[in-house]
Amino acid sequence: MSAVAVGVRAEGLTHRYGRIRTGVARLTFAFEGPGVVAVTGPNGSGKSTLLRILAGLLRPSEGSTAVTLDGRELPRTLRRTRAGLASPELAFYDELSGEENLVFAAEARGLPAPARAAGAALERVGLARRARDRVAAYSSGMKQRLRLAFALLHEPPLVLLDEPASHLDEEGRAAAEAAVRDAASRGLVLVATNDPEEVRLAERRLALVARGLGDPA
Amino acid sequence: MPSDGSRSWPAVWAILRKECRSEWRTRYGLNAALLFAVASLTAVTFAAGRLPDRPDLLAALLWIVLLFAALSSMSHAFVRETEAHTLLFLRLVASPTQIALGKLGFNLLFLLVVEAVTVPLFLLLTGAPPLRWAAFGAVLGLGTLALAASSTLVGAVIAQSRNRGALFAAVSLPLLLPVLASGVAGTRAQWDGLPVAADARLLGSYAVALFAVSLLLYDHLWEE
Repeated sequence: MSAVAVGVRAEGLTHRYGRIRTGVARLTFAFEGPGVVAVTGPNGSGKSTLLRILAGLLRPSEGSTAVTLDGRELPRTLRRTRAGLASPELAFYDELSGEENLVFAAEARGLPAPARAAGAALERVGLARRARDRVAAYSSGMKQRLRLAFALLHEPPLVLLDEPASHLDEEGRAAAEAAVRDAASRGLVLVATNDPEEVRLAERRLALVARGLGDPA
Repeated sequence: MPSDGSRSWPAVWAILRKECRSEWRTRYGLNAALLFAVASLTAVTFAAGRLPDRPDLLAALLWIVLLFAALSSMSHAFVRETEAHTLLFLRLVASPTQIALGKLGFNLLFLLVVEAVTVPLFLLLTGAPPLRWAAFGAVLGLGTLALAASSTLVGAVIAQSRNRGALFAAVSLPLLLPVLASGVAGTRAQWDGLPVAADARLLGSYAVALFAVSLLLYDHLWEE
């Protein structure tokens, strides 16, 4: 797949849950792909909220965000088609196998060869051997690998990973790292993490402090 | 390269197939719906015997059985997604409208399966008078469409709410009363030899109106 010039930016971005609790506050940044950006900060500083806003799942309370592909801004409702998100809240259908979950996602996303795309994504994260097992039988680490496979399924130019190495063993971490490097060679990867090993993958860093008053470092 | 979102049908079709596969594997709703239908029909038959000369009671009984057999399962199509935390997965692969259309298709199919078992059993056990098939089919078909549209809308509205139980009753009742009233009136009319066109029109219009309102609402229902 040919590389797409991808960029993300935020201006005065604020998100509140209800009237009091603030997810992110007055956040301004701009990043261009390719490459990896580590989004760091203490618990509750808004790392996950920021990724959900960029994925188009949350509408910010104030300010704005933009995702651009080859210089053209992607409408918020279409971001999910060009972004891949893996977060701890992402759950799959227990009664379906890992492969069936991904084939379903590929079909719903309109990929031309759903089974092949699912197989390639599972192979990439080292889950091909257990692809036909039901998700109910997966361990936490296997579910995390499936999340990563899902995020990379449609080879998106923008990949948003929230604590990608959580629950992973050494082999899983190596697979995740290889997948991040591969995705970063084609587009922009934002990794929300406080894990030093994951931070080392990134050449740029967005540090959210307390209530998310971060700027690109 | 994924679809740009303008081609909805592959997503709707994928969701419909996924719903069917999940239901087949878990039997989450079908067993409960069929159990309710068979148990309630058997209980009524034991208590009241056969009722060939009471089309008024038969019409009400048929729609009550269909309504409750279907509703308890269908409105949970969205609630299951919330409780299993799979709604995020769905939202990442399809738009809210695509999700709702897929669920509507499944609810329609689910109702048809429930009816395929319930209606013949009902006619057999209650000793119902002979049907005017065209009139009965029109009322049942359009009623099914209205029932599926309303239960899908109710399910989508209550799925994200914390107090789903209370909201379910409050939202369902006003939406379902017109379906129940017209379904009962139309079914009775076909047994009484009266025209059913007015009831069928009402059911059809109601289904179309609910569908149109749903299409306008779905994109905003899960906005966070």
